[in-house]
Formats: sequence, C-alpha cells, structure tokens
Amino acid sequence: RHVGSGGPPRVCDDYWSEFRHCRSVRNRFHHFYTFGTSPSCQQWKEDFNSCRAWEKSRSPEAKESLQKSERGRVAEQRNFTPVWELRQHPPRDWHLPLDHGNPPDS
Amino acid sequence: MDQSKQREDDYGYGLFPQRNATKYKKGSIAESLLTFNHKCQVMLQFAMETSPYAKLLLGAMKSSGCAVFKERHFSCEDCDGTVSGGFDATTSQIVLCQNNIHQQSHMNRVVTHELIHAFDHCRAHVDWFNNFRHLACSEIRAANLSGDCSFSNELSRFNFGLKQHHQECVRSRALRSILAVRKVSREEAEKVVDEVFDSCFSDHAPFGRIPHSKKDAKFAHRDFENRDRYYANL
Repeated sequence: RHVGSGGPPRVCDDYWSEFRHCRSVRNRFHHFYTFGTSPSCQQWKEDFNSCRAWEKSRSPEAKESLQKSERGRVAEQRNFTPVWELRQHPPRDWHLPLDHGNPPDS
Repeated sequence: MDQSKQREDDYGYGLFPQRNATKYKKGSIAESLLTFNHKCQVMLQFAMETSPYAKLLLGAMKSSGCAVFKERHFSCEDCDGTVSGGFDATTSQIVLCQNNIHQQSHMNRVVTHELIHAFDHCRAHVDWFNNFRHLACSEIRAANLSGDCSFSNELSRFNFGLKQHHQECVRSRALRSILAVRKVSREEAEKVVDEVFDSCFSDHAPFGRIPHSKKDAKFAHRDFENRDRYYANL
C-alpha cells in the first residue's frame, strides 16, 4: 500500500481512466446538461503524464505539478460556505434501539 | 414530539401513517402476503449491495460513525399518495414506501436520496424541524447527487430541457420536497431555495463530484476507497 509513501495520490492508471471518461460522449453530454458548458479534460492527461514521470524518475517537477493539480481539485470541492455546522461526533441516538409503540421523546 | 399535535405543521409525518401504528403486525405472514413488504426488502438488499451510489454513502456513513444496519435504519412501509420515501430524524430511520416503489432502479434512487439525508444528519447539525435553510439544503443535495435529475429521469417525466436543465430540475424537485412536508407558501419555499442554492449545489460530499451516471458513481466510490492514500500524498 502507498499510504504516506511519498508516491502519487492516485494510481497512474486512474488518471488515464478519468481522462477517457471525461472525454466520452456521455460525459460531455452530462456536463452540458448540468453546467451548460463543455468539460475541460486536459488536466487529467497532464496529471497522468506527471504521475508516470514521478513513478519512473521521481521527478520533483512532476511531483510538484501533480500535487498542485490535486490540491486545486480539493480546493474546488470546498469552494462554498456551508449552510450548517459540521458535527464533531455523530448523533448520540443513531444507534439507540427503536422503541416500538412508545412515542419518541423530543 | 407531543407538542407537534398542537401545531398546524405535521412535518410530513401524515404521509407515513405507519410510523406510529402498523396495520399488520411486523414480521407476520399477513404482512408478507398482503403488502409489498417482502419485495421491498429484497430490492433494498440488492440496492445496498450493488448500487455504487448506495455503497459509497454507506461507506461514508460508517467512517463518520453512523454505520447503517438494514434492520435498524431502514423500514419498508405503506405510505400515502405517491411519496417514495423519507428520512425520519427522530428515529434515525429511512422509510421506504413499499406500495410506491416497484422497480429496482427506482429503489436504488430512493435509497440513495434518503441516504444523502441520513449522511447530512450524521455529519452536520441539521435542524430538520426548525430551520428551512437546512431542510432546503439537504433536499437540493439529494436531488443533485442521487440521479433524481438525470436526463433520462426528466425525460420520463416529460420535462424537456437541455442546457443546464439539471439545475432547474434540482431546484424544482427540492421545492416539491419541501412543500410536501412543510406548511409553507410556495413563495417562501422558493425564496429559501434561492438563498441556499449556490452553496448546497456545490456541496458534493461524499461523492467529490456530481455523479451523473453509474460510471461516475463507480469512480467516486473508487476515490472514496482510496482516500487514505490520496490525502496522505497531497
């Protein structure tokens, strides 16, 4: 396993499959249906190339480029102000047994 | 919950008449033969085992400390009207309307939709009963991420639209869901949906993307399974 090994964040083939999926007719249709624009897929291909370069030659430029790209993706997914406050612990009553026949306490 | 009997708003509980009293004793032969209960259970099991949407949500809930147990957290019941399912925050249960879900694909979608509510309940302080913004947000997310608004589903509802139609669909389905469970005017509901739309449409947790198709959901599930390695190597 690669956890914390200093290797790429994903298996290199995953970048390639994302690239191909991004460019597929179906995905382009879905993207247009959702966003009204064409998807941009080039970054996946660049990431694939960086990933392979990182694996083969431990190239610092490739590592830097790939990490920058992935951090960008993470940031994009966090780019909104949440409507609610996140919990520190799950709800206390999630696992409590059901009380059939008795009205739940409020 | 005694107070709710005095309020006008029943919080949608009227749609699920079996929440407090079942017509046939649970587990009885009458229940199996005279209701769609068994079919619902079978379809639910299949959804949990094979739908990448459901598997991802179940995995995400487990890692958030809300492991889902079929017997405890799901309930197949007869419901009113055309409602397909609901999430009951007071009992931490997902209700599936056995009399209104007849196809596996529909079951998959309902399970996904309700698991998104359950996931939100698990990871955030969602005030389902008093905060409209919270309710609207979870409904926007559920419509956005469950495949409710896929092109083919919309087509089957005779809603034709292409460019960015997905967003219109999400808006209108969120609105519908809110109006079904709360006594509030359409204008007020629209206003709340507008207020929170941009934020909640952008919140793709736990998928990391909007899963337009099963393939998207599979990729998202793959990413979820590999998340430890991913975050360790950023």
